[in-house]
Amino acid sequence: MRREITFTLNNEEVTVEVEPKWTLLYLLREVLGLTGTKEGCGYGECGACTVIIDGKAVNSCIYPVLEAEGKNIITIEGLAKDGELDPLQKAFIEKGAVQCGFCTPGMIMSAKALLDENPNPSEDDIKEAIEGNLCRCTGYVMIIDAIKSVASGR
Amino acid sequence: MRSFEYYKPNSLEEAIKIMAGLENAKFIAGGTDIMVQLRQKKISPQHLVSLRNISELHKIETEDGLNIGSLVTHDDIDKNEYIKKYYSALTDATSRLGSKQIRNVATIGGNICNAAPSADTACPLLVFDAKAVIIGTKGERTVDLSEFFLGPGKTVLEKDEILKEFSMPRLKENTGSAYIKHTRREAMDLPILGVATRITISLNKDSQIRCRDLLCTVDSISNILMQLKDEGLKCEEARIAMGVVAPTPMRAKKAEEALAGKIISIELFEEVGEIAANEAQPRDSIRGEAWYRKEMIKILVKRALMKSIDRIIRPDEEIYPERLW
Amino acid sequence: MENLKVVGKKIPKLDAPLKATGAAQYIQDIKLPGMLYGKILYSKYPHAKILKIDTSKAERLPGVKAVVTAKDMPPNFRIGFMKDNPPLKSGKVLSIRDEIAAVAATSQEIAEEAISLIEVEYEELPGIFDPLEAMKEGAPILHEEAKSNVLKLPWRLVCGDVEKAKQESAFIAEDTFSTQWVTHCCLGTSGCIALFDMQNNLTMYSNTQIPSLAQNDFVEALNAFGLKNRRVRIIQAVIGGGFGSKLDTYAYEYIAILLALKTKKPVKIVFTREEEFFATSPRQCTITKISQGCDKEGRLTFREVEMILDNGAYTSWGATTPSVMMLPISSLYKVPNVKYTAKCVYTNNTYCQAMRGYGNPQATFAIESNLDQLAEKAGIDPLELRKINANEPGEITPQRFKITSCGMKECIEEVAKRLNWKEKRGKDKGRGVGMASLIHVGGGARVYKSDGCGTIIKMDDFGKVDVFTGASDIGQGSDTVIAQIVAEVLGIPIEDVNVINNDTEVCPWDVGVHASRTTFVAGNAALGAANRIRQQILDAASKILEEEPSNLDIKDSIIFSTKNPEKSIPLGKALRRIHYTTGGKMLMAEYFYDPANENFDREFKGNLSVSYAYGAHGVEVEVDKETGKVKILNYIAAHDVGKAINPLLLEGQIYGGGLQGIGYALGEKMVYRNGRLMNGNFLDYKIPTVKDVPPIQPVIVETEEKEGPFGAKGIGEPGLVPTAPAIANAIYDAIGVRIKDLPITPEKVLAAIKAKEGEKKI
Repeated sequence: MRREITFTLNNEEVTVEVEPKWTLLYLLREVLGLTGTKEGCGYGECGACTVIIDGKAVNSCIYPVLEAEGKNIITIEGLAKDGELDPLQKAFIEKGAVQCGFCTPGMIMSAKALLDENPNPSEDDIKEAIEGNLCRCTGYVMIIDAIKSVASGR
Repeated sequence: MRSFEYYKPNSLEEAIKIMAGLENAKFIAGGTDIMVQLRQKKISPQHLVSLRNISELHKIETEDGLNIGSLVTHDDIDKNEYIKKYYSALTDATSRLGSKQIRNVATIGGNICNAAPSADTACPLLVFDAKAVIIGTKGERTVDLSEFFLGPGKTVLEKDEILKEFSMPRLKENTGSAYIKHTRREAMDLPILGVATRITISLNKDSQIRCRDLLCTVDSISNILMQLKDEGLKCEEARIAMGVVAPTPMRAKKAEEALAGKIISIELFEEVGEIAANEAQPRDSIRGEAWYRKEMIKILVKRALMKSIDRIIRPDEEIYPERLW
Repeated sequence: MENLKVVGKKIPKLDAPLKATGAAQYIQDIKLPGMLYGKILYSKYPHAKILKIDTSKAERLPGVKAVVTAKDMPPNFRIGFMKDNPPLKSGKVLSIRDEIAAVAATSQEIAEEAISLIEVEYEELPGIFDPLEAMKEGAPILHEEAKSNVLKLPWRLVCGDVEKAKQESAFIAEDTFSTQWVTHCCLGTSGCIALFDMQNNLTMYSNTQIPSLAQNDFVEALNAFGLKNRRVRIIQAVIGGGFGSKLDTYAYEYIAILLALKTKKPVKIVFTREEEFFATSPRQCTITKISQGCDKEGRLTFREVEMILDNGAYTSWGATTPSVMMLPISSLYKVPNVKYTAKCVYTNNTYCQAMRGYGNPQATFAIESNLDQLAEKAGIDPLELRKINANEPGEITPQRFKITSCGMKECIEEVAKRLNWKEKRGKDKGRGVGMASLIHVGGGARVYKSDGCGTIIKMDDFGKVDVFTGASDIGQGSDTVIAQIVAEVLGIPIEDVNVINNDTEVCPWDVGVHASRTTFVAGNAALGAANRIRQQILDAASKILEEEPSNLDIKDSIIFSTKNPEKSIPLGKALRRIHYTTGGKMLMAEYFYDPANENFDREFKGNLSVSYAYGAHGVEVEVDKETGKVKILNYIAAHDVGKAINPLLLEGQIYGGGLQGIGYALGEKMVYRNGRLMNGNFLDYKIPTVKDVPPIQPVIVETEEKEGPFGAKGIGEPGLVPTAPAIANAIYDAIGVRIKDLPITPEKVLAAIKAKEGEKKI
């Protein structure tokens, strides 16, 4: 039986009817058309589906949709403000942290959650924040550089 | 996936009442295990009763020992300075469980009720003599965690019962603990096996200073222990728990007895490791071979004990990451 | 080289903004009106007779628009280079990934339910999961038409006289090595959308790395379906990782085509992560027997290699990896006498295809591990042995490769220096250093009859450029490299270059993104086209400026006379004048670059590539002797790349390749039991996480390859070729045990340590 939920999505209030068995990822991609968040595995094992819920990085592919009620959710589409890219997005582009790009949205969201909570993270903090985001292309080094460059810049 | 109904009660009474009226229903906490099992079609409940919005399950109380509500997330435990300082083995476990995304959502209650032999929080809770406080239609009861697990994926919980919180007694002075998770890669991994220890030692002030100097060196465990032996540090009490070497997380009770009252030395640790290894029944699985797990028990017991003692003697200092404990 | 403005600079990847904002459209993201979802039913057993397939319940499920089995496919239609693989199976199944049936339905969920309603009756047959078993007398023949489990393939290379060389060797080392199945683990899973138009022309939205060859494969398929003379258009979605996994066409693509034909609607098939693990083709596993010899001074005398390859149930590119393995076997270091034979054997296991390195990592593991063993026998430091035998520019190898630029010595020396080889070698206290080198094709590879790539350049009215290239971008940055080359030649900012590379309807032919050829071949094609259109521009501008074309140059989008810079005209203005007039001219250039390399002759000899890439990796490890865990303390990856057109992207290839190599060496393994994959998920198949990255130092050695665009050679694959032997050699230096079978796990190391201690006691 469908139920209605209301939550804040990328700074706008959204009300939508959902099936209880949907995951948050399904709602975002298939119903709301926000395909920036990716499904890499469906089991919470790769981080490609990472979004930020109430300030914390979460795997949306295993997040029950009804728990989104009342939450503040940010996806990759919500980062750019007034056409201006978020510093993290700019850094990823400039530092060569993007190759095939499939892991990139999730990776950026994990980094964003970190920097919002801790604007001055150590390299270990950065690694901890993105340990749940798998990347097969870049070898991670330039990703760490990108996040570091934003951290020190702030 | 079959459709299901999803309930979000705001109190324990409401949750118990809803569950009592349902067939083919499961409680769900953070969901990181259940959502995976649903997708794998290992379970197909018609109802899920979420415990997330029950505020009393999210508490951490530290006035008398340690009480952790079952819906406390691993991230919340990670960030708790009191737990990190006094119940260090638990933070060792929560900080290495899954990934940051998982830790933000997964709960300690969920980790225990899922009852995998590899549940990271089980071994630390066991060495802290944790009791599981359970509530159901028949009221409240308390079960020793060492009796909570019945087998892989099975616990003593009845269908209508909710694990409310874990309660652990206050720790004696000069007590330290550690949990070592032996993995293949450095993040997002299940343990090949895991060992937690808690040890209380007798220690006088002069001894403490000399031991502190010793532990500030980067020497090997055997060399340090050889020198520590001269200090005559005595083990008053110890607990050893092991994961993934038996159908459920288990205490190495014989090994604990062998430690109690003895003077700390490398020979003692090796003997205790042997005993613990013999108490275990490791299996071959795609995640690890039995012979290797057995060997590692000996090594990890030694290292976890060493780390626990280091934390007693140098409570405010970092454990060196490049050291073997 | 003179002042380059764009080439040689760290330019961010052109499509990175699209990807960093979530706007890039991968196959997962594409939805077409009326689209149906396809799903495949796979075999229940690795070896069985199919007695009956009942699809009636699935057909009756509301929302199901088509259910297909083998009877819906043309009867003798086979795919794969040996044409032994029917996209839908009948009669018999030979592996757990055999496709039995497929459905198309209005939603993913209905498609999944329909699959569960298809009833199949099997008669299970005993399976063969070991190629050695499959080769034995009396073993059941898996492909009756083939009459033998050993494939009829000609893999045999003989150079010089190995037997004689053996007699004349002062030292010989011999051993057996084996490598495992590992898989690409692209974060974006495989998928396609097939749709027909009213005339039955096919459009495929695809992840392929080989659009032109795939086009060919699908034309053949349409012919088999009775649809002759139809067009096939391939539109590539943004590709979520390749690494060789999309170098062949898969059964699921033909199944999607069949479903689209039947339903007259677009049909999308996208793999789940489980399917990506068990139903795509992994890296070829190998069992290698090798012996090498040298004279008293350490000069290599011979190399003899015998390999057995588990070919699995059907044949894809894995069976051709020997043709690439010949490269290091004949030409890594100077070895005058070489013999190599390889047998590919059918089993009921999964079957393999291309994966970054295409056999080179497997062969180099054996060669470089064994070389260290030879060094030990000869009493020569392994570093010295490598220097003594290092390849040199101008050399012609036994396989008749003409070595042009060669930075092997420099790479080896860089590694030795940065690792502090002399200090750290031979301590045997749990820490050690090891190294290994590599040779790979760097200037294209004439694997097919053509090694070519086409480029078309079109100027617009404003001085901006559209570059249509046949080369696909799979994340490595070919789009950016091509744009840099064009921008450099035309004197315009890189922002004004638009690269179109994903539609066979407009893009010229290219043989594919493989063999690390794209920068070299597509780069040269872009360079050729850019030079041509530059000439056209200058010729036309010469009339406007009344100046000889040879005195004209373009900088910052302004055409000017070098003799009199005041005589100038903005590029856009000039372009408008050129065509927006009576008798106007359109400016467009094309160039098809097919490198001057050779196909192998019947003896597998010939100059396969125009230039060769070299490199050396060195590792310092620390082994925890109590647990067997190996920690990498320092990793040096030195690569001779000719010229770094884009150092940012190039380093990305070295880091990415290096980490894949580390996973290959230390932890990745597809675990099969009786033909079934036991660890087809990201938890149990462990690719490195960010916390597993050791300190890596990429070292770029530039040898300025004359034939390469601006001197560049390939780098896509070399990054993981020498990783495993470098690590294995370092472990031997650290604790005196050699692991000869990948991956190097803590269990293997600990068992070897204990065995060695056991020997000591005796």
